[in-house]
Amino acid sequence: MSNRQLSLNAFLHDTGHHEASWRHPDSPVERAHDINFYIELAQKAEAAKLDGVFFADVPGLWAATPYRPTAHLEPITRLAAIAARTERIGLIATASTTFYEPYNLARLFSSLDILSGGRAGWNIVTTQSDAVARNFSLKEIPSAEERYVRAQEFIDVVTKLWDSWEDDAILADRGSGHYFDPDKVHAINHVGRHYQVEGALAAPRSPQGRPVYVQAGSSNDGRVLAARNAEAIFTAHQTLGDAKAFYDDIKTRAQKFGRNPDHVKILPGLSPFLGDTEAEAKELQEYVNSLTVPAYGLGQLEGFAGISLRHLDLDEVVPLELFAGSGDVLDNNRSRVQVVANIVERDRPTLRQLLHRLAGARGHNVVAGTPMQVADLISDWFHGGAADGFNVMPPLYPQLLDKFTEQVVPILQERGIFRTEYAGSTLREHYGLPRPNSIYSDAAGQAAAVTTA
Amino acid sequence: MTQKQLHLNAFLMEAGHHEASWRLPDTDPGAALDLQHYVRLAQIAEAAKFDSIFLADGSVTMGTGEFRASGQFEPLTILTAVAAATERIGLIATASTTYNEPYALARRLASVDHVSKGRAAWNIVTSATQEEAANFSLAERPLQATRYERADEFLEVAKKLWDSWGDGHFLGDKERGRWGDPTQLRAIDHVGRHFRVAGPLNVPRPVQGYPLLVQAGASEQGKAFAAKHAEAIFVAHQTLEQAQAFYADIKARVVAEGRNPDHVLVLPGLVPIIGGTEADATAKAQQLEDLRIPEYGLRQLAMFLDIDEATIDLDAPLPREIVEQEVREGFDSRARLVIDLAQREKLTVRQLLSRLGGGRGHNVVIGTPEQIADQMETWFTQGAADGFNVMGASLPSGLETFVQTVVPILRERGLFRSEYAGATLREHYGLPRPVNQFEIEVAGV
Repeated sequence: MSNRQLSLNAFLHDTGHHEASWRHPDSPVERAHDINFYIELAQKAEAAKLDGVFFADVPGLWAATPYRPTAHLEPITRLAAIAARTERIGLIATASTTFYEPYNLARLFSSLDILSGGRAGWNIVTTQSDAVARNFSLKEIPSAEERYVRAQEFIDVVTKLWDSWEDDAILADRGSGHYFDPDKVHAINHVGRHYQVEGALAAPRSPQGRPVYVQAGSSNDGRVLAARNAEAIFTAHQTLGDAKAFYDDIKTRAQKFGRNPDHVKILPGLSPFLGDTEAEAKELQEYVNSLTVPAYGLGQLEGFAGISLRHLDLDEVVPLELFAGSGDVLDNNRSRVQVVANIVERDRPTLRQLLHRLAGARGHNVVAGTPMQVADLISDWFHGGAADGFNVMPPLYPQLLDKFTEQVVPILQERGIFRTEYAGSTLREHYGLPRPNSIYSDAAGQAAAVTTA
Repeated sequence: MTQKQLHLNAFLMEAGHHEASWRLPDTDPGAALDLQHYVRLAQIAEAAKFDSIFLADGSVTMGTGEFRASGQFEPLTILTAVAAATERIGLIATASTTYNEPYALARRLASVDHVSKGRAAWNIVTSATQEEAANFSLAERPLQATRYERADEFLEVAKKLWDSWGDGHFLGDKERGRWGDPTQLRAIDHVGRHFRVAGPLNVPRPVQGYPLLVQAGASEQGKAFAAKHAEAIFVAHQTLEQAQAFYADIKARVVAEGRNPDHVLVLPGLVPIIGGTEADATAKAQQLEDLRIPEYGLRQLAMFLDIDEATIDLDAPLPREIVEQEVREGFDSRARLVIDLAQREKLTVRQLLSRLGGGRGHNVVIGTPEQIADQMETWFTQGAADGFNVMGASLPSGLETFVQTVVPILRERGLFRSEYAGATLREHYGLPRPVNQFEIEVAGV
């Protein structure tokens, strides 16, 4: 019998993933930037033995809107505070290769990994926004091709820095006065197209060797980056069929890079409205949808699709031709638009219905049902070759995380596909990923590493 | 009673400031990378009602070799974790204006200020070394003048970003569907020589308005920068006279900038080595001295003086050409202090290394609790200090002993608080919350 286990992440996001979550009467809206709110959520996720918590991020204002929370404390900072008040749960932060220096980013994640005892993960993004570029002395964002070339070199530099102290470099020999062995601390002397970094890192090797590499984004370049580097992938799919196609594609690509496909965990987003009955769950979803401000959703959709929709009546069916030019899902920058185009084509929603679909979780899979129904969907995708686990995105925090951990997780545990206790203490151990050796720890590894530069 | 109070900051450094502290039987050589070590130190300082704790930093594996703990946490990250385990104590992190982007750093500092509910401070450094430049794709380190010019503009941008949210932004009006007030959110559209930053920030205005701004470094450029921006200054002095001269100079410069001199606190470093008797204290100092590895000190001295260590003879005074040289690039205020010390006391290099082992040029005071309190009182009442950067030679024991034996004497003399009066670091330091510059503009119209 296969002992394959689900990986479950709680994707933390303000008062919930639904854009109108904060208007729910029970929403603790005044706590949206209180760190204790997030610490409590992480503690609940940990009590349910989830693998990790995750913060998305953009180094700019997501939307200068009055209609939803727009303040986002920097995620590594939030996770450092959460680390101090939790014991086991993984801590995954998004950080951009376009707007960080590799030395700084390597240090931040190394610090988080050390202080948390091996629980850090880095969600690698390249950031696709001119508005953000203008916060960093650039006129516009570099092209996707350029960003991904830079991202790969960035990852190579960061990896070398994380490996620059061998695991046994520290001697701490009081008697002789030798704190470390200088032969085991390596200058990396990276010289590449975008970066020249001497090293070594200002910290020894962290408990996981390297924090876990995570990636989100399904464009062609994104898939190449993921297949080559990522150990966990966050992705958005509306149907099992789409998810399975993505899953197969990534696992095949990973294998072509000479990697073990089991060491690439694919975790689609799932945003469940839960009720004691299906009707109750749907009623809650309808109610929260009714709290959306159409002007907000419309602006968001127009922004990322790059089209005008203002001329449409809210209750008019969205014309197919509006999304006809959305291109292939593999196009850089377009993978999320394609998800919307698929909804428009498949379900023929009115504009209002479309906005409600997107309001839930920005194109991620929003479902409404009983805990049993949601557990069934999770099992189906997990056993159907579409997912290794899920990035759980409760529409409302904290109540729908509570319902998920209290009512869905036990069903998954009963079915033997989710742990009842943590088996290890690091995020790598939760995900079933190996701890990598330092590329500097043997001569062969060192030669291989140099050729990746 | 409204007697002026002194301010105490605990400058933390792995197993202690003395370079050999990690070799003592009662310290933990792994302290540098142990979160609980820093939590414990912060809690000791907080229980004693210290204003703050502080971590120095450099983006480099310290180039002084294998004889000391080299690895360390990034300060903002570790201090955020410490924030989650403390309530009141201020948290001062060093970060570089040369190797950060203002948007990213202003955001992280604002985030730490929110997480800690108003306890964040930024020790602003410009990162002088070649080793750091080499970690950031630069063939040559930027010149000091360029670094300070960038730092000045960096501060201008950071302050605009912190002011880009009005304090009244949050509405949370569920009924009308208005989470925030868009009129309280401003693009900054900064265009300068080093940066172009649109803004606004994506974090609300910090609890303290701005995190407390701290500076260390006593070069001409450093002093000019401090006079303009700093609210607390860390500095190293060996004698009362030097400390008084610096204090008078900096306060005059602050006044010349149109600022209130009481809003810039000068905190010299102090390494107390405490014994029940003077003999006990001396024995403790000797124990540390015996554990020193001369090669380590020599490399560090060579780094301060920006020279090749092979050119130095341990049993001779510092070479004449070093002593007589003028201020030059890569040769900072600490180099001047070290040379002055060697000359004033006619020290050989070996003797000089011994004097620097405790605190890298900071004032090491070996004595009884009363003697240490006496010196602090003298400096505080004689125009040399507004408080001290307390640097335990070994940690935690050096801080614990100070808290248990010296702090009560300072309290008895009415020089130090017995309870916190406020909740934020600015309140501990008696500093105002800055007014939002954009609100001033509106009021001016």
